[in-house]
Amino acid sequence: MKILFVDDERDVEALFRQKFRKEIKSGELELAFAFSGKEALEILGAENPPKFVYVFSDINMPGMSGLQLLEEIKSRFPMMRVSMISAYGDSENYDKAISSGAKGFFTKPVDFERLKEEIAALNEGS
Amino acid sequence: MILVNLISLFLLYYLKKSSGPQGFPAHLHRYFKYGMIAAAVLIALGVAAAPPVILFQLLSFVLVGGIIYLILNTPELQYQRALAITPLPIVGVQLLDYLIKTLSPGIHEVIENYLDAAGFFALIWAVTMWLNHRKQMKEVEIERIISKEQERQLRSTAEQKIQLEMLVAERTSEILNQKEELQHALDHLRSTQEQLIQQEKLASLGQLTAGIAHEIKNPLNFVNNFSELSVDFLQEIGEEMPKIADSPEKENILDLLENVKSNLEKIRHHGSRADSIVKSMLMHSRGGTGSLEPTDLNGLIREYSNLAFHGMRANPNPINVDIQLALDETLPKVRLNAEDFSRVILNLVKNAFDAMRDKISVSGSEYHAKVQIRTKEQGDDVLIEVEDNGPGVPEQIRDKLLMPFFTTKKGTEGTGLGLSITHDIIKSHEGTLEIISEEGKFTIFRILIPKSTE
Ligand SMILES: [Mg+2]
Repeated sequence: MKILFVDDERDVEALFRQKFRKEIKSGELELAFAFSGKEALEILGAENPPKFVYVFSDINMPGMSGLQLLEEIKSRFPMMRVSMISAYGDSENYDKAISSGAKGFFTKPVDFERLKEEIAALNEGS
Repeated sequence: MILVNLISLFLLYYLKKSSGPQGFPAHLHRYFKYGMIAAAVLIALGVAAAPPVILFQLLSFVLVGGIIYLILNTPELQYQRALAITPLPIVGVQLLDYLIKTLSPGIHEVIENYLDAAGFFALIWAVTMWLNHRKQMKEVEIERIISKEQERQLRSTAEQKIQLEMLVAERTSEILNQKEELQHALDHLRSTQEQLIQQEKLASLGQLTAGIAHEIKNPLNFVNNFSELSVDFLQEIGEEMPKIADSPEKENILDLLENVKSNLEKIRHHGSRADSIVKSMLMHSRGGTGSLEPTDLNGLIREYSNLAFHGMRANPNPINVDIQLALDETLPKVRLNAEDFSRVILNLVKNAFDAMRDKISVSGSEYHAKVQIRTKEQGDDVLIEVEDNGPGVPEQIRDKLLMPFFTTKKGTEGTGLGLSITHDIIKSHEGTLEIISEEGKFTIFRILIPKSTE
């Protein structure tokens, strides 16, 4: 099960790889990381249809914002699940994200238990 | 002799006519009237040449003499003095003529021509004098009119002056009032401007704080997340270690790992401290509050003072404290943002606990910590007091107590934002916060909020 994380902070990769160390080791999860919206679209567009089942994206990023990326992904791959992860948990961002088709909204610092549950639920569903 | 009486008549008539607006006393008019009648009678007698002619002629002289005497000796007729002397030569010549004719008709015949000449000159003199007198009288009259006019003008000027002065006084007081109003408006404007500047400063400071807080939040999350992860990993390492054979190196590694673990825990601890500061800062700078709803203030106080107490008991360094609630049960519902206002109660009660903890560590077991919370209706306001019998607040730091980042708490306790946030929340309820304290005895936080804040 391939999941794509998008965040302009590079250390996000180390953090998530360590947090999901066991799941990665067991082959349960495969993680990919993009550090901009543009890069995320490139990765998703590399295969058609993409092998990814879920995209988690930061909102505040230089260049394309997470909300723009969300709209782009939803228009190109309408079935793709996308959730937002942002330090700005205000209602404006939240409403925008949900109305644009985001599945969920996580605030930073990320509650990893909730995140793991969200991913586990995905497994059960499929 | 008719001439003398005509003169008398003329003089009297003239005097009567010249009485002017102020008029003469009644007795003078009476004199004029009788004099004129007497003159008219004497003229009639003269025309009729009724005997005894000598007596009537004498009476004619007496009449004209009396009139001249009257003019010269009456103060009201002073200005007519010139009139009195006008007929004098004629009367004199007539009198001489009369005396000589009566006493010595012989001489009279001799000097009759001279007397006629003298009479002629006396007449010329009289006419001249008369014309002169008329001229003078006209001048006097003109002067009188002028002076009257001047007086009238002066009077009206004085009246106008008084009116003007009244008008000026009126205008002055109006202007003074306006000045006062303007001054008042200006003062109001100034204080509003100052408030606006202050608010503007606070708003930009708030934005800056929010910006900084957000920027710090991301790296801080990494610090916290990685330290947490590392502690987890060390846990796993600890689980794996027994599988490795004991050796002095292993001993050393275990020792070092223990240190690493303790360091990571410290990083995590201080990280979460920083996190709570950042959260407070974000809370502090949050623009606009939620809506105000009618709230049971006493219930809110009961719930949150209890929560503060149990929170304190569950945390390190619990203290024994007596919490006394003296709540006015007749209190109406107060319009509050309950979420915000609960922070006020929490902050103040926690603050009291912290202050009293310091006093306990100094005073020991003699001292019994006590917090009293009171509510009361006070006019249009609701009064809330949180009183502790802690160490009190020294006068010189009382003002600073409400400033952001000011803290009396040592080291790692407290963010220095608690009371500042408390004050902000009270202000957002249009209330006031006052600190009353006596060093070593007590501190009262006195809150007044309007009952019906719209
Ligand atoms: Mg970002």
